[in-house]
Parts: sequence; structure tokens; C-alpha cells
Amino acid sequence: MSLEFSFYPGCAGKQVQKEAKSAAHAVARELGITLHPMPRASCCGAVSLRESKLAFSLAVAARILSEAEAAGRNICTICNTCLQTLSHANYRFKREPDVLEKINGVLKKAGVRPYGATIKVQHLLWVVTDQVDQKLLKSKITRPLKGLKVAPFYGCHNLRPSEIYESKAGDEADHLDRLITTLGGSPVSYSGSRKCCGFHVMLSDPTEMRSMVAKNCLDAKGEGAELMISPCTLCDMSLNAYQMPAEKVVGKKIDLPEMNFAQLLGASMGLDAAELGLERLHVDPRPVLKSKGV
Amino acid sequence: MAEKTYTFRVQRNKVTGDGKVESRWQDYQLAAEPTTTVLICLEQIKGHQDGTLTYRMSCRSAICGSCAMKISGRTRLACKTHVEKVADANGVIRVSPMTNQPILKDMVVDIRPFYNHVLKIKPYLQEGSETDTNVGRSSYDQVNHVTQCIMCGSCYSDCTMAEVSDKFVGPAALAKAFRFVSDPREGKKTARLRELSEENQMWSCCRCAQCVETCPKDVKPMEAIVKLRARGMQKGYVDGPGPKHALAFHGDIQKTGDLNEFTLMQRTIGIVGTLGELGMALHLMKKGKIPSPFPHKVEGVEELGNIYRILEENPLDVETKAKEVAPE
Repeated sequence: MSLEFSFYPGCAGKQVQKEAKSAAHAVARELGITLHPMPRASCCGAVSLRESKLAFSLAVAARILSEAEAAGRNICTICNTCLQTLSHANYRFKREPDVLEKINGVLKKAGVRPYGATIKVQHLLWVVTDQVDQKLLKSKITRPLKGLKVAPFYGCHNLRPSEIYESKAGDEADHLDRLITTLGGSPVSYSGSRKCCGFHVMLSDPTEMRSMVAKNCLDAKGEGAELMISPCTLCDMSLNAYQMPAEKVVGKKIDLPEMNFAQLLGASMGLDAAELGLERLHVDPRPVLKSKGV
Repeated sequence: MAEKTYTFRVQRNKVTGDGKVESRWQDYQLAAEPTTTVLICLEQIKGHQDGTLTYRMSCRSAICGSCAMKISGRTRLACKTHVEKVADANGVIRVSPMTNQPILKDMVVDIRPFYNHVLKIKPYLQEGSETDTNVGRSSYDQVNHVTQCIMCGSCYSDCTMAEVSDKFVGPAALAKAFRFVSDPREGKKTARLRELSEENQMWSCCRCAQCVETCPKDVKPMEAIVKLRARGMQKGYVDGPGPKHALAFHGDIQKTGDLNEFTLMQRTIGIVGTLGELGMALHLMKKGKIPSPFPHKVEGVEELGNIYRILEENPLDVETKAKEVAPE
């Protein structure tokens, strides 16, 4: 099976969370996944654009989807919100031909190739757990996690609304749990694993956002987690970079290292820590990884 | 279908004299068919095994909304939930009360916090200058999305924002508000949008979409919230950080294609707010997590400007519409 994708890292992956992008490229290279750049792709607009300019948001998504379609590839992303935004638009284009026609009318006038609604929007996590040969994946794990207790944090926009995704979603999604097991770790069951990281209310409701971060992390720690992973650059930002500010809000020490799933995957493949950008994380996962020889 | 023995792991709750809740888990074994509802099983347990087990129920038909409770991790109507769907690999079904509301006994919670939030959005038609007596077929396009709500409180119980803030009005109240904002007969649509733009209302939803997943009647409250926000901004209620953040996106996408994250904070919470966040900025800077002030321009960025201009000149109605319900 050819694992060629048009890669859509998202705004955070290009800048503040660029370690996730670098880790994604590193693990993709090892697993025979080719991530082709999308030089024309713009920001997806997230739900923000859907709220402020609905038709524009659909046209922006169609233009992104069309670029991948012209190249004959599905899209692969590492940002849950990009995943949700593009999947939501794609879901509508595939089910509402009148909407697609209207949007394509605008694209044509603007000099953009119309979208034929033929491609899928995928997350790199799904590609790694469902499309990569699992024997190949296992053969690459040179530093297994030796039972390390890892809390999976899926992120809302990887899961819901479940109907729009072209993979297992909602309560059925088990990609992170399976990946942790494959890596030799022990997935931790805790109530926060499918809750909100708070990213999208970071500025409008800062205290509530920090409370969410603290609750999710403390909950995972309470169930014995030594590390947390997420498939999303935005969840990473909340759960890791905002963990210390969250400690101040709840008045409790948390100290739970959190990292992108691609970083942990890369680490257990023995890839270079600098390429995985581990030094860019506020709550450093290296000591706990070291304790397991990773 | 063959019967199977299930274990109902039920949370028993008792409020003690000092107002604290004492919780313990109690297991009940019951043989049932896979498509038997959880409510029928609870009825069997209460009738034949333990009469002290307490929960609310009435219609058994997913109409009254009384039997909402947490079943295997999510809030569901016990009368609408088949046991096999919620049993784990060992046939265990966990049952506990709704969350985000105080417990009274076993599965019964005090639903006043939920209802008080709903009352805040004035859940009734008001007379006013915007009342339209002309109710055409297309009037139902938006109203009908949300009229299926039965006020069971499931969405509020699973709401991730309500979990950290008892001030947030919650998904059902906002879906109800959308129903009145969309009703041609409502006389105070603009005033509603102004009030909904205030703190702890529509802009405090964290868009986790849990309510969309949880709602047993497919109301999709978050979709209604997204539409409310759009209508609020159209009416000019753009002062808070929520709308300012939403509005920052389309300018950037037209101009460069990429989001200018460097100025996003200042555009969302203003200069003063940004100065207040200086400590946070320094904290992020330690790990190089400050975006470049010079965003990269994507190829073909002029196409985005064209799209924007075409749509501003000829707006398109691409909102999702409720299915038409023909009168019987």
C-alpha cells in the first residue's frame, strides 16, 4: 500500500509546536510514509472562521482539499482542530452536492481548481496505527517502554462529532491505546482521556482553561500515569506548556510530562532527541523515559 | 437472542447529616437480552433484588428525559440504552448519577442548577419590535434543529466547561436560546444576542462537541452555539475576546494565508490584556514557543483574496438546515 500523503501540519505545528512536526517527519521517514508539502495550503480557519464567515470557511477548506486532490493524495495532519475543520467541510461536500456546487462556483471564479470531493482527511496517528504494517512498526521499536504507564489524551477534535471522521472516532476511538501497547507501554484508563484540553478558551476563559489542564493531568496522575501523550499540537500546548500556570490556579503540583505521540514513538524508535524536539517541552519527559532506558 | 448475565455496577449515594455525599459501588447480577434497555434492568433489580435503589424515570420512551444518568462513562437515557452497547468485555455496566449537579440519593440529582441556567436565557417568546407575524416555510430551517430538546440535562452533565465553571449556562440553555433567536415571532432577537455575548454565555463554550455526541435527541447544541456566535457578530457584538479571536482569522487568511499567531493574542485580548499575560509570554519564550511576527505567505495567496471578495460581494447561504417536517 502506498503511504503517500499531502501533509497539512497546521499553524501550531509550523511554529510554536514545531517539535511535533519535526517528530512527525522523523517517524514517517522510518515507517515509509511520505509526507508531501502543500505549498499553497492556507490556515484552515478552525471553528473561528466557521463562526465569523461560514461560506469563506468552506471555500478555504475546499481550496486546501483541492490542492491534495490535484496531487492524487489524501491529506494527513497532526493538528486535531485542522482534522476536525477539514473533515467537517469534507463531510458536508460529500453529502451536500448543492453546497459543493455553490462553493466550487466561487473557487472557479477565483481561479482555483474546483474540488471533486474524492479525498479523505486523515490523522498521522490513524496512519501509523491503521495503515502502516504493524510488523514493520514493531520491528522499529528498539527501545520499548517496559510497561511505562502512559495516559492517552485524545483531544476533542480527534473524536467529535464522530460522524464526520473517516476513521474510528468518538467513544470507539482506540488509536492511542493501541499505539501505547505496541510501544510496550501500559495505557492508563482515566476519566479525562476524552475531555477538553481547554486550548480554544485559553484567552476567553483563562482560569477555566487552566482548571481543565490541571483536572485532566491530575486525574491521569491519580490513576498512576507517568507520562501523557496526545495526537494534537494544540492539546500539547495546553497540557505541557500551560501545565505550570495551571498548577498556580489549582494550588497543586502536577509535574506530569506530556508529549506528542510522534515524539514518544520516535523516542522508542531510538531517534535523535534533538530531531524529536524533546528539549522544547516545558515539563521534560526525558527523565521518565531515561528511567525505562528509552 | 440469547440471554446473558450482566453485572450492573451501580454507584449508591447517600447524603449524610453534614451534607457530604457517601458513595460506594454495589454489584447486581441480572440476566438480560442484549437489546434490553438499562432502565428495564434497573426496574428488575429494584423490583426483585433491592427496593432501596433510587433513580428517576417516567415515560420509558425517551420523551420525558427523567432517566438521564451516567452509564459506562457517558450520560445517557437509561430507557434508550441497550445493555450490550454499554457492557464492557466482562459484561459489566457502570451506572452512576449525572455530573455537574448535586447528588440527592443514588442516581437522583438536584436538577435546579441546570434549570436555573435554562431560565436565564428566558425560554419563552417575548413581544417586541422585532416580532414578525409572517411565518413562512423556511422559518423552520433553523428552529427545528433544536426543538427536539427534552431538557434531560445529559449535555450539561457531560459538558467539559460546566465541569470547571458553574457559571457557564451550558449547551441545552444555549440551544434553547438559538431556538428563540431563530423564531420569526420573537420580538427581542437582538437583545438576546447582546445578552448571549456577555460572560459565561455563548463565548465560553470550549467547542469540545461532547454535547453533540451525548445528546440523545440529536439536537447538536454546539452547532447551535456556533450559529449563535455568527449571528451575534453579525449584529455587531464583537467586543469580547471570543468574537475578537474569531474575527482575527479571516483577515490573516486573505492577506497571507497563514494565521499570524504573533499578533493573535494582542488582537484577542488587547494590549492591556497582553501585558497581563507577559509572565505567560516569558514562560513560553523559555522554550522558544513565541511565533514569528512575520508570517509566511502561501503560494497563490491572491486566490484567497479573490474568494473573500467574491463572497463579500455575493454572500452565499450555506448554513445547515433542519430537515423539513411536513404536517401530518
